Amino acid sequence: MKKVRDIRKPDIKIDMTPLVDVIMLLLTFFMLTATFKAAESEAIEVALPQSVYSDPDNKMKETDVLTLSLTKAGDVFVDVDNYKIREKIFGEPFAIGLFRPDTLSPSPVATTGKVGDKDVKRKVVLMNKAQFEKTLVDLKNTLRSLSNNKNANFQVVIKGDKDTEYGVFEDLMASLHESDNKMFSLVTTIKADKKE
Amino acid sequence: MAGGGFDAPEAGGGKGNKHKQKKGAGVRIDMTPMVDVIMLLLTFFMLTTTLAAPQLMKISLPKGDTKDKVKVDMGNVLYVRCSDKGNVYFSDGKSDGSETELKKIELKNVATELEKLFAKNNNLLLLLKFDRKMKYNIMADIFDEISRAKIEKRYAFLKMEEADVQKVTQAGG
Repeated sequence: MKKVRDIRKPDIKIDMTPLVDVIMLLLTFFMLTATFKAAESEAIEVALPQSVYSDPDNKMKETDVLTLSLTKAGDVFVDVDNYKIREKIFGEPFAIGLFRPDTLSPSPVATTGKVGDKDVKRKVVLMNKAQFEKTLVDLKNTLRSLSNNKNANFQVVIKGDKDTEYGVFEDLMASLHESDNKMFSLVTTIKADKKE
Repeated sequence: MAGGGFDAPEAGGGKGNKHKQKKGAGVRIDMTPMVDVIMLLLTFFMLTTTLAAPQLMKISLPKGDTKDKVKVDMGNVLYVRCSDKGNVYFSDGKSDGSETELKKIELKNVATELEKLFAKNNNLLLLLKFDRKMKYNIMADIFDEISRAKIEKRYAFLKMEEADVQKVTQAGG
């Protein structure tokens, strides 16, 4: 049997070891650099503005991040990365806070349940200005009591949509100032510098 | 190694290799399933990973209460106004509270203009007055320019009053 086969097909073989080596390296690289995004955090989609400048000492923290997403329609979504805190403040682990500075027109999220053309799959907790400011304080206090650290603080990041009106941001700044969040960061994407 | 074929294990104790293989019958591991799995894992990680970390621009609001008033020499003030159309205007404050004519600045030149002005007066305080109808994008751009300018960053956000809107409209909107 064997001999017959050998004659028909001469022994061609490819050594896969280098291939496996390279693939292993790539795999290790991607495994180590990967940061996973929970599906629910992508519910609020905003088109971030671009910036050339990036603060080298100011990086996005892995935990304890308070995200304020400003949508085109003028809504402010409040989210934290810790589901325990969300549960305490919003009542459900996957709920998200919504504050609309413009009180005259209703939020489109309330009627359509959508931001842009994406469904918000999470429970939305609507807040007015006073509730929003109280929530910001409550969030911080909950973080401090849960972590048993009196000085624990959120990194406040603002993800604004390019086309949001500045007025929304102005109102948000007033609320942040009111709730003693004097330092925050704008999230942008990288823009290549054409000047230098 | 003897360089035996894939089917060497079957040929354990076979006739051909007798001389070379004294220890153990040619043991080889078929790597194909492993490579398959690794390939799958690789694809998974390549698709799920997000490599570009978002950039952050830090903004600090003044400490203290809104009621606290800070005395500023109006001669050291630079008004940065921005209309709803996204046009940027500079004007210098004067010690008597008035200010110079509004000067239109191209957005991409804001950083260099600021550096020029700070070279003359290093104690300048930027008073930012942005129209509420302006796009957030432009605010980010202006902030980008301010951050990139090699100046000591002192700024305050002020409300764009009706008078400011008029000034900006007069200067071209």
